[in-house]
Amino acid sequence: MLTFTEELVLLLNDEDGVPLLIRPDIAACALAGAVLMDLAFDYRIDTDLDALVVHDQTPTGNAVLDRLLAKIAVRAEVCNTKMWIGVLSTEEAPAVHEEVLARLVERSVLTVRTGRIPWLESRRYLCGDGETAQKIRQRIATVLYSHDIPDARDVALISLLDACEILPEILPTQELADLRPRITLLRKMDLIGREVAAAIADIERSIIQAVRDRAARFRKLLLFLSAVAGSAAGATFVLPRVPVADSFGAALRMHLWFDSGWQLWTGYALLALASAGILAVVLMKVRRIARFGGHNWWRLAHAGLGVACVLALFVHTGFRLGANLNAALMVCFLAVLILGGIAGVCNNAAGELRRMGVPPRVRIIPMRLHTVALWPLPALVIIHVLAVYLY
Amino acid sequence: MSRKAFFRAGWVLMTLAAVGVALLWMTVGGARRIFLIGETTAAHHQIELACESCHTAPVFAAAATAEQALNKACRNCHEDELAEADDSHPRKMFRNPRMAVYWDKLDARLCTTCHAEHRPEITRKGAVTVAADFCRACHSEGDQDVRTDRPSHAGLAFDTCASAGCHNYHDNRALYADFLAKHANQPWLTAAPIHTLSARQRTPAPAGETALERSDALAPVAALTDPTALDQWTGSGHAAAGVNCAGCHAPEVAPDAPVAEVEARWIAAPPLTVCRGCHKAEANTFARGRHGMRQHPMIAPPRDAAKTAIGTVLPETIVRWLADAPHPTRMTVREARLPMRAAAAHKVLDCGTCHQPHAVDVGQAAVKACVTCHDDPHSQAYVGSPHHVLWQAEQSGAAAPGTGVSCATCHMLKSERRGVIATSHHQNDGLRPNTKMIRPVCLDCHGLGFAINALADSGLVARNFRGRLAVHVQSIDWAVRHAASETENTGR
Repeated sequence: MLTFTEELVLLLNDEDGVPLLIRPDIAACALAGAVLMDLAFDYRIDTDLDALVVHDQTPTGNAVLDRLLAKIAVRAEVCNTKMWIGVLSTEEAPAVHEEVLARLVERSVLTVRTGRIPWLESRRYLCGDGETAQKIRQRIATVLYSHDIPDARDVALISLLDACEILPEILPTQELADLRPRITLLRKMDLIGREVAAAIADIERSIIQAVRDRAARFRKLLLFLSAVAGSAAGATFVLPRVPVADSFGAALRMHLWFDSGWQLWTGYALLALASAGILAVVLMKVRRIARFGGHNWWRLAHAGLGVACVLALFVHTGFRLGANLNAALMVCFLAVLILGGIAGVCNNAAGELRRMGVPPRVRIIPMRLHTVALWPLPALVIIHVLAVYLY
Repeated sequence: MSRKAFFRAGWVLMTLAAVGVALLWMTVGGARRIFLIGETTAAHHQIELACESCHTAPVFAAAATAEQALNKACRNCHEDELAEADDSHPRKMFRNPRMAVYWDKLDARLCTTCHAEHRPEITRKGAVTVAADFCRACHSEGDQDVRTDRPSHAGLAFDTCASAGCHNYHDNRALYADFLAKHANQPWLTAAPIHTLSARQRTPAPAGETALERSDALAPVAALTDPTALDQWTGSGHAAAGVNCAGCHAPEVAPDAPVAEVEARWIAAPPLTVCRGCHKAEANTFARGRHGMRQHPMIAPPRDAAKTAIGTVLPETIVRWLADAPHPTRMTVREARLPMRAAAAHKVLDCGTCHQPHAVDVGQAAVKACVTCHDDPHSQAYVGSPHHVLWQAEQSGAAAPGTGVSCATCHMLKSERRGVIATSHHQNDGLRPNTKMIRPVCLDCHGLGFAINALADSGLVARNFRGRLAVHVQSIDWAVRHAASETENTGR
């Protein structure tokens, strides 16, 4: 029998082994919740309003769960469920994901398909028996579409998927809307023992809270910043350029855009902001650094730096496209900013886009193009700087 | 290696490779057009890929050093012109520490302060890249405030200083107050409207002792079978000056060499160097104008990739790939920024483009060669203009030499030194700005007031001076009034 965590990991990929379009921090929350639910169903942990406590340290026989059980047990500080979800999602989720995938491969539930280039490890996890993941989906569908009394674990899994907004990625949006009363009913069912039920309910509440906190935190601000950055960069192609000053004197625009000394410093400021923007994304993916401030702060920093880059680009160029290499650099920079803005909007308005029927494969396109547009940017910037110093 | 690691490594390697190739193009050899930051001015676009002509500073030199080197390069080519123009704002004037107060406003020690290259958006007429009222920088305060010194200038806007036909920054030889006052009240046309130097040049000189006749032609037998060429040479200045066929077609051969030797070293189409051998002054001035600037001695040659520090350690194949393409040494009509006739686009500019070396028809180089290529309104309007009518009269013999006005009369300035009249082949010398033509050309036939007004009337210029004047520049009136008040003050 598979654990919650293993079933969740199986559901995080589609039939072709392609990961679903779920925000990494939300998926991490789901994994942390699944681990706690597994431990609760095995009577290893209990929860109350103030603390999550280990009342049985006996190993479960599952290496992943036992490792995390030990981690929870040795912690001297008293933490409640919400705090543990925070800790596990930032510190353990990627490792748990890898370990669970390895276990599933070991048990032939999944098979690994490597990339076409032999020495290049590009792994995709496919269902080894072709049935297990399908059976889980069928089980969920059966619970949702029938009026039978479901299994407690299935209800808990559905609640977890619903709390983490993974259900919309599995079920068609319209059907999900019709099923909403049934999901609400299922979550209210008292199908398990009181102690476990209390713990599961607490975990669900904490996950919902954590996911909502994460999803809602800075959402509007991120949406605003992304829209501002993208549209301001896009406006370059529409708005007329700021005209050249007709009278001699200390016109700021003449200094900014035609004085090589001023351009040097505004250029360095732009370079610093762009580098910081890229660094924010890189650091967001480094586990030990990302836990400082959380995923959303790094996303906010990235979006904020994107807007700052648009402003700095205006100060540096007046949105003049330039010629030759400079034109290539400017177009590349603007493409990165515009696509970044669109990607930010798609990311932070995922729910709205889902309801509008925009499929995940379309929603991910701006993000991928944003990354592709970034490729030539460092080379163009370095050549631009070298050309400035050489000529 | 994971897919992510592969792509990251690929990204880094491709970035480094692109930067490396660009650095090689910049420092060793190869295509550099992509590094141009903007369209080059009409003055320099022909030599825009000979970067080292202007960017002479060492690699990664400090900004101040690079700027100094850039300005030194400007002076290398233009200093003589400025000296000839009796520059009103010479660099030495501003290097004086007493002028330091102006350096922050408008650093006139540097050419690039007003003439920044590759900045098409701010490039104005005359390749000026500062606002038209730049005189304000120094002449709007204290002792230098022209509005308090000259009552006539009170209330004038600074953007009219140079645009109204009154002042030029560099060349004011025909515009300074004393000159204006001296030449005030001149009639629009002089009593004897003859361009003196042209008249002297075009008056046929008596045949000298060295003059050659048809029978003297020293050329291979095959060449002598072309009667047209022979006829043309016989009546040409070359024959009159004793220059035989072999003088150009076999320049290495002694004048009294046997025909067999001439035949052996005969060149069907003599290169420019042959012309330059005798016509040094013309060749030198030709290289200073737009027509021949690619032959200017200060134009940097293509880089020799093999001789650079990096080139010596690179494989020969790469060095060969990096080698700079040879710089074109001649301009084609197609490259011109002015309107040109499509049929002439293929023409390449050298001596033979305008001059037919065997022909005696001076009108060919003076008018026909110009209008064959140039297709702007001023050129189109020349045929049938008052100047053209006079030129036709002179050509037909109905009028005296020097009365006709060809394109060359105005645009190929003539000068006399030690009794020798030289024609400058720097054809745009008198156009930057056009008031430079007043003293050497216009005043031979016209009064100063008319000349200034006519040249300031852009419509009249476009119509090639057909019609009536629509512009009156007040500078002469003000100069006369100023002189009168000065005299009055002196009398008191």
